[in-house]
Amino acid sequence: MGDQKPETEGYVGQSVRTIEGRAPIMGKATYTNDINFPGQLHAHILRSPHAAANIKSIDTSGAEKVAGVVRVVTGAQAAEYIDPIPHYIDPAVFGGRSATIRCLALDHVWCFGQPVAVVVAEDKRTARYAVSRIVVDYEVTTPVIDAEDALKDDSPMVVPGWDANMIMQIPFGGGDVAKAFSSADRVVKTDVKVHRFSTQPIETRTYNAVYEAGTESLTLYGTVQNPHPLRHVLSKILRMPENKIRVHAPVIGGAFGMKMHGHPEEGLVCFLSKLIGQPVQWVEDREECLLIGAREQVHSVELAVTKDGMILGLRDHYLANTGAPSSCPGWGMAMLTGLTMPGPYSVQNLDVQLSAVVTNKPGWNASRGYGKEVTALALELSVDNAARELGLDPVDMRIKNFIKKDQFPYDSPTGLIYDSGDYEGVMRKAMDIIGYEDWKKQQEEAREEGRYIGIGVGFELTPEGGTLPGTLVAGYDSSTVRVAPDGSVRILTGVTTPGSGNPTGIAQIVADELGVRLDTIEVVQGDTTTCPYGFGNSSGRSTIVGGGSAAKAAIEVREKIIKVAAALMEVGESSVTMKDGIIVSGDKTIGLEEVCYACYTRAYDVGSVIDPPLEATAMFKPGLVRHTPNEKGQINPYPSYSNAAYVAISEVDVNTGEVKLLKFSVAHDCGNVINPILVEGQACGAIMFGIGAAMAENITFDENGRQLTKNFMDYVMPRIGDVPPITLAHHDSPNPVNYKGLKGAGEAGVGGSAAAVVNSVNNALSPFGVMMTETPLTAPRVWSAIQEAKKAQPQRKVA
Amino acid sequence: MEDMLEDTVLVNLRINGRLHELEIPAHKSLLDLLREDLNLTGTHMGCMTGHCGACTVSIDGRVAKSCITLAATLGRAKITTIEGLTQDDGTLSALQQAFWDNAGFQCGYCAPGMLLCTVELLETNPDPSDADIDTALAGNLCRCTGYQSIRRAVKAAITTTKEGAPQAAE
Ligand code: FES
Ligand code: FES
Repeated sequence: MGDQKPETEGYVGQSVRTIEGRAPIMGKATYTNDINFPGQLHAHILRSPHAAANIKSIDTSGAEKVAGVVRVVTGAQAAEYIDPIPHYIDPAVFGGRSATIRCLALDHVWCFGQPVAVVVAEDKRTARYAVSRIVVDYEVTTPVIDAEDALKDDSPMVVPGWDANMIMQIPFGGGDVAKAFSSADRVVKTDVKVHRFSTQPIETRTYNAVYEAGTESLTLYGTVQNPHPLRHVLSKILRMPENKIRVHAPVIGGAFGMKMHGHPEEGLVCFLSKLIGQPVQWVEDREECLLIGAREQVHSVELAVTKDGMILGLRDHYLANTGAPSSCPGWGMAMLTGLTMPGPYSVQNLDVQLSAVVTNKPGWNASRGYGKEVTALALELSVDNAARELGLDPVDMRIKNFIKKDQFPYDSPTGLIYDSGDYEGVMRKAMDIIGYEDWKKQQEEAREEGRYIGIGVGFELTPEGGTLPGTLVAGYDSSTVRVAPDGSVRILTGVTTPGSGNPTGIAQIVADELGVRLDTIEVVQGDTTTCPYGFGNSSGRSTIVGGGSAAKAAIEVREKIIKVAAALMEVGESSVTMKDGIIVSGDKTIGLEEVCYACYTRAYDVGSVIDPPLEATAMFKPGLVRHTPNEKGQINPYPSYSNAAYVAISEVDVNTGEVKLLKFSVAHDCGNVINPILVEGQACGAIMFGIGAAMAENITFDENGRQLTKNFMDYVMPRIGDVPPITLAHHDSPNPVNYKGLKGAGEAGVGGSAAAVVNSVNNALSPFGVMMTETPLTAPRVWSAIQEAKKAQPQRKVA
Repeated sequence: MEDMLEDTVLVNLRINGRLHELEIPAHKSLLDLLREDLNLTGTHMGCMTGHCGACTVSIDGRVAKSCITLAATLGRAKITTIEGLTQDDGTLSALQQAFWDNAGFQCGYCAPGMLLCTVELLETNPDPSDADIDTALAGNLCRCTGYQSIRRAVKAAITTTKEGAPQAAE
């Protein structure tokens, strides 16, 4: 390598690809489901067919008689060996009600699909068949399905012993709301109903546990976003110390929040392996995966506005139907919806209140956007509605109310501290790149031909890198950088990847900071035994804290290499530079491998200027977070506030109600960009989530609380023809305190794009007076809205 | 003890160029056969109902969803899985290269369907329109990319194919 010249001007900012990323397209990536151990056993779970029932008895003898069955376990039997599942985010930490959640139900089930018993067998099919031979005597009770019903005085209790079906009620806000409303020209009320959603990665969850009796230790291979925090949870469930448990997450086939832990199957599979002494695997089927919901919220947004469109105050008392209690972090989404109000708008008079309700629907887990997407939907639909009522242009009204770019850092009325931004600039850019004015002309022309084209905008503020005090949702993370005697580099991170590409971004950062070639770097993630303690993947944090900490470690290691290189070349340290693995001082050049080998092998002469090995672990903790409550008791759990504006162009067939998306644009502020092609992939993926949420994805139940949505024909996710061409631009205001000004890129976009879609449909149908504020906009519902508006319109004219 | 008595069937399959003779239960899906009996785990399970496309393989030159294909019905079929696209020395096919260069995947779980459906598309229609691409890939869900980079990758592959590079390794 000695005479090679540095080939690049640095890797950061370039759309590079790394070799690890290749495995999936060769069919060579190992996902959890691909792992098969000698003596592998398979578990299948018996789930409750009722939304609410008491379990009077369970007869497992039929299952035990099936050849190939190894063990059948009921909730009562399991409870002798294992403890309840600790909450990912315990409502009690925030003053809410906290339920006891077990891997298998004991004497009562509180939702359809709740695990009741489990069969372990020699193969999947036998396990499944044997489950059908278990007989459970249920005493069915009346379920509560609807959030409003759950709050009625005579409602049955979802959780036995609670005195209300409520996890918690929290107010957010401040200012003088009463005055704002009394001095307003108008109060515009918008009821925004957001339906139940589910993230549905194409890879379902899988766990494979291996207990080793000789060392009394356990390894869980699993689809896990947060291996270290899960290890803690498992230690509590299994009554084992953390140092006897290893959690390993192989390649993950998409996560989007679904693979955050708290699921009953995680602890269950570990317990079964320990009980039987053989590896036990459980693979979730799609129907089971669809049980995990999110985002079902009913908002009633009141905007106190002047007639020229200034928002003086905002009121929104909203209900979240979080389903049955779960140890997963899903319910916290509802809390962050309120915390992120009023988004990008400069409104200080705010009266927002969450009621997080439990019902007998299956529980939630985290879902990309983590509640902040619902904030965007509620706000953006309300602003469009208000603009229409006031006869104003919806973009003008937004710009009038945006926080201005010289107002940062900005203190929100809920206690957040927004780091930076240029919301108006972002909005205008999204409009420019799609040709907004041109589409307005096309819309007019189309209307003359009887075609209905709609233009909709949506803005989303997405706080990223979240950390909640007293939980294992941490803001910081750590990485280790190791350089071997041959000069090759290994990075071990506490953050993990769900397949989004952050290892490539982290490798780019280290290549530049260390001064080595990208192809000499390997990134290892997702293993509690080899990686430094970390909090995995959540909240768009992985490149912020994973990259930030790896950069710090790389700088430490680089210093050692430079010192020894200087000693070898007999020059002053300050004259030495290193780039792409080539070390230069004046006209002298030395290869990285020669120096690294010397670092390890010549500790008593030239290498004595450093302490080997060439290794450092560093931690990165972003600033701006405030966990000590202010005088109003508010905290700021986020270090950075990425934001984006979306424009959707749609065409509605008014005879069928069918909506076709024609074009989409996004202007995005995620701070500096490490790898444009990967960031673009994240943005487009989030937009597809938004389109799915707005258009068709929905989970339905019968009147007894039995879930009707069972497969991808029922849960209709966007296919390639449903997603229009997307134009993307960056409009970055770097975060002032984060490494490289990063803000996080993985999570943003679901709500802003969903809102843009809904607003575009309403805009298309404005000649009819249609204003739909309930998702999803399926063709039958759009058609009905048109019919209703047609009926209402003549009356309105008369009135 | 109660036994689920099973009928077994002998099948001969040529998979990625290699002949396999296997005795399998009559109910076994091609997906399970590939993954469990032959350790060809590049073909993925996403739904088992034929809706997601993660299990796509090519049978006698036509794409099929292996989760809803009974292996026992496939006597003497010629099957290509995602593993069969790469050349023996590990070189990527032009299509795989295009997917890699253009980030036509993120987690990669959907890759079998995206790649094999594109192979079939380009074999039957070397110059597909955007609508043709959307139709060819309509049976495959991807939850990560938003499909933009997939379209871009397919178009890049069309360009390389026109320049004469082979589609897939034989
Ligand atoms: S697993 Fe075959 S289509 Fe989904
Ligand atoms: S890349 Fe993850 S499903 Fe397509």
